[in-house]
Amino acid sequence: MVTPADAPQSREELLEPGFMSRLEQLEILSRKIFASRQKGERRSRRKGQSVEFADYRNYVIGDDLRFVDWNIYARLERLFLKLFMEEEDLNVSLLIDVSRSMRFGEPDKSLYSRRVAAAMAYIGLCNLDRVNLYAYSDRIVQERAGLRGRRMMQRVVQFLCEAPCAGTSALGPAARQFAIRHTQKGIVVLVSDFFDKTGFEEGMKYLIGRNMDIYVVQVLSPQEVNPPLAGDLRLVDVEDADAAEITVSRPLLDRYKANLHAYCTSLRDYCVRRGANYLLATTDVPFDHLVLDYFHRRGLLR
Amino acid sequence: MNFLTPGTALIGAAIAVPLLLLLYFLKLRRVEAPISSTLLWKRAVQDLQVNAPFQKLRRNLLLFLQLIVLAAILLALGSPMAKWLESQGRKVILLVDRSASMKTMEADGRRMERVRRAASDYIRGLRPRDEAMLIAFSGEAQVLCQFTRDPAQLQRALERIEPSDGLSKISEALQLAVAYSAPTRIEPLPGAEPAPSAQIALFSDGRIADAEAQVVQRGHLRLFRVGQAVDNVGIVAMDVRRTYERPSELTVFAQVENFGRQPVKIDVRLRLDGRDLHVKELNLGAAAAETPAASRSAIDASPAAQAAVFQLNHDAGGVLELRIDRPDALEIDNVARAMIDPPRRPSVLIVSDRSRVTQLLERAMQGMSVERIDRMGPEEYEQAPEDRLLADGRARYDAIILDNHSTARLPPTGYIFFNGVPLLPDVSMGDPIENERIVTWDQTHPLMRYVSFENVAVARWRAMKLPPYAVKLVEAERSAVVALLPTPGRQFVLCAFDLAETDWWRKIPFVVFLFNSTRYFAAGEGGALAHQVQPGVSIPVPPLRNDGSLSVVRPDGSTDRIDVAPGRIAAYVRTDQAGVYEFKGSNDTYRAAVNLLDRNESRIAPNESFAVGGERVAQAGAEQSINRPLWPYLICAAIAVLLLEWWIYNRRVML
Repeated sequence: MVTPADAPQSREELLEPGFMSRLEQLEILSRKIFASRQKGERRSRRKGQSVEFADYRNYVIGDDLRFVDWNIYARLERLFLKLFMEEEDLNVSLLIDVSRSMRFGEPDKSLYSRRVAAAMAYIGLCNLDRVNLYAYSDRIVQERAGLRGRRMMQRVVQFLCEAPCAGTSALGPAARQFAIRHTQKGIVVLVSDFFDKTGFEEGMKYLIGRNMDIYVVQVLSPQEVNPPLAGDLRLVDVEDADAAEITVSRPLLDRYKANLHAYCTSLRDYCVRRGANYLLATTDVPFDHLVLDYFHRRGLLR
Repeated sequence: MNFLTPGTALIGAAIAVPLLLLLYFLKLRRVEAPISSTLLWKRAVQDLQVNAPFQKLRRNLLLFLQLIVLAAILLALGSPMAKWLESQGRKVILLVDRSASMKTMEADGRRMERVRRAASDYIRGLRPRDEAMLIAFSGEAQVLCQFTRDPAQLQRALERIEPSDGLSKISEALQLAVAYSAPTRIEPLPGAEPAPSAQIALFSDGRIADAEAQVVQRGHLRLFRVGQAVDNVGIVAMDVRRTYERPSELTVFAQVENFGRQPVKIDVRLRLDGRDLHVKELNLGAAAAETPAASRSAIDASPAAQAAVFQLNHDAGGVLELRIDRPDALEIDNVARAMIDPPRRPSVLIVSDRSRVTQLLERAMQGMSVERIDRMGPEEYEQAPEDRLLADGRARYDAIILDNHSTARLPPTGYIFFNGVPLLPDVSMGDPIENERIVTWDQTHPLMRYVSFENVAVARWRAMKLPPYAVKLVEAERSAVVALLPTPGRQFVLCAFDLAETDWWRKIPFVVFLFNSTRYFAAGEGGALAHQVQPGVSIPVPPLRNDGSLSVVRPDGSTDRIDVAPGRIAAYVRTDQAGVYEFKGSNDTYRAAVNLLDRNESRIAPNESFAVGGERVAQAGAEQSINRPLWPYLICAAIAVLLLEWWIYNRRVML
């Protein structure tokens, strides 16, 4: 594994301190309320043993007498049981595409995606969520699961700095691996450019099949949206060295853009139909803007 | 627009266009560019290739621009010509003046070069299906190029034209032009369009002596007038005579005329055999603006023309040269030369068997300055050995007077026949004519100067059958009584009557007639001594002792040969250069001078109004239709498109 030369080296490179303090105000929202194993700071659907009162219910035999409301019993001579809110933690899984195509573009898609991941991870850690990091290309190349607590941010930064940029992108096998390893429910944030020659559908199926709350962030560089190409070119794919000979012309560029648009639209439609959130970001949009504004508006963050 | 070399362009196109397309399709050198994924690109290329390759070709701007560049270059290769004014005729005859005035030095070289340029422009202006021929003319016309559609051939012929020293005479050229432009069919086929009349394009300064007398029967004449220079002083006439009474005394007459717009002061120098003899200073006024048909008297009145008369004593032969020491635009008319012979008194032979007639003739010639008079009988004349009549290939006698005798023995000299004829074809004596009156006589002829037939009684004469070229000097009602029969080398004066049967011999005009005749025979027409002709006119060479041919040294030093039978007069016709021609026999030489001596040529200013046959000729001058080569514009367009392409390529402008 080769650490890319332009990979981020420190936390400051990934997240500025001022930005981090703003991130601390946020928390990751899940539209679904998942059952978790551990107690956390997140209100659960289950009634549990927190300090926050939730409801009453009739006493049935076998209930813990400690939760009987004796004041009501004194007044009404009937047994009611006090129910409290249960607070649980949330599984936040970040899948980051680290295939070679992510290193394309100016600003770099790779750095951009890592920053997004760092921000999301930091938010999760601040809220005592369980943060799982996975770097994938055609498989999961690196993972770090079960990070919890703000102190773990160092591990997150280390992970993001060490994740290599290599391999071809194939979401299918990587998602399958992820689904097998990661059985808990929670939020999945998938950051990729989705330039996947095997198609994104198979991978998405694995993720959606697990009934997770999925956020798909497609990162594109401006050079991909608006290619600055001219002349007779031999385009070489940075992942598999596949070549395409083209003569750049207005019709060709128009056709490319139409195809790109169609591709992104098909991805979005796929996600929306299956209850996943889709977000398209180009790397020329400042990443803090993306996190603070876009994610907020899309309901991923609060 | 026309193409001069469409073939070249087509060949070039046949090679270059497929080559460009091939190169475009092969496109061996592509710039490699890394890309995040070829996924979408491949799909885009596939989408576009649905209608390939033509859609691709049509949509590819760079290739399109390259094709434009190539097309421009190929068009340039085809030498396209834009014709701003269309000429209608399909047969064009170019008449190019190459007379002496074309030697005029203009500001930018000889006038001939200007003519050549104008004609060259005109040739470039021809459409590809136009046929053109090229005739150069001075005194005589010469077809330099037959009808052709190949402009290069015409241009080559045009390059060959060099100005001669000859006069401008268009008649022969026009006759040639008319002859060549005649349609090949006499009767056009029914329904066929009539043969197009030929266009005649005349490239000249408009100074053409015989233009007024010409009629353009067929076709349309246009003049391309060339030339600007006007400053010229020239010798326009020269004559050398010996005084009859004092043969050693020579009189040289010269007429010098200023054709420039400024009065000039010139020195006229007379040289004999290279030695300066006299210099005369003349003040010549400015030439009158334009005298289209200046009469002789008008010139004399004009202060621009003055006569210079020199007198000198010289009793030998030599070369007389008159020279104006003043540089001007036309050099050739600043010199005139004349050959002078040593003075010679005529010798006369009388052939008669009647002593009375012989006495009459001798007595009539007593007062004349005659070298000697010999007598012979007719039989003696017929049987006389050759050397009694000839010396050094020339006749021993300047005049032979034959009485009552017709003969075929005719050495080259002058003859007076009384009641007899030379036995030549077309000449014979007919029936006697009596009791008729002499009606008229030609007093203007040199032979008849001061000769009157008034009160001359001629009892009878015989009708003469004469060839058409005979000059009738004295005529009766039905036939000629006295006639001059000029043949090359021999002059025959034929009197149809017997001298004894008239009283003419009693009268003074008879003496004058004999005097005129001997002078006429001895010295040529008018008694002028100078053996000089104008350029283009043939020089008659008297019989020289030779071995079948004479060598000729031309004025420029080159040599030539003419074949001549011994004892015959030769004619040398290649007299296109002015100067002294020397004819060499085996041991004697004859020299003759060719001088321009032509007012029309010396007047080098271009003619303002040029008329042929009384009709003014259209001057093509300014609005002349010439071909402008378009290839430079096309090359510029190609470069511009190339730059545009480069800009588009670099700016990545996608259209």
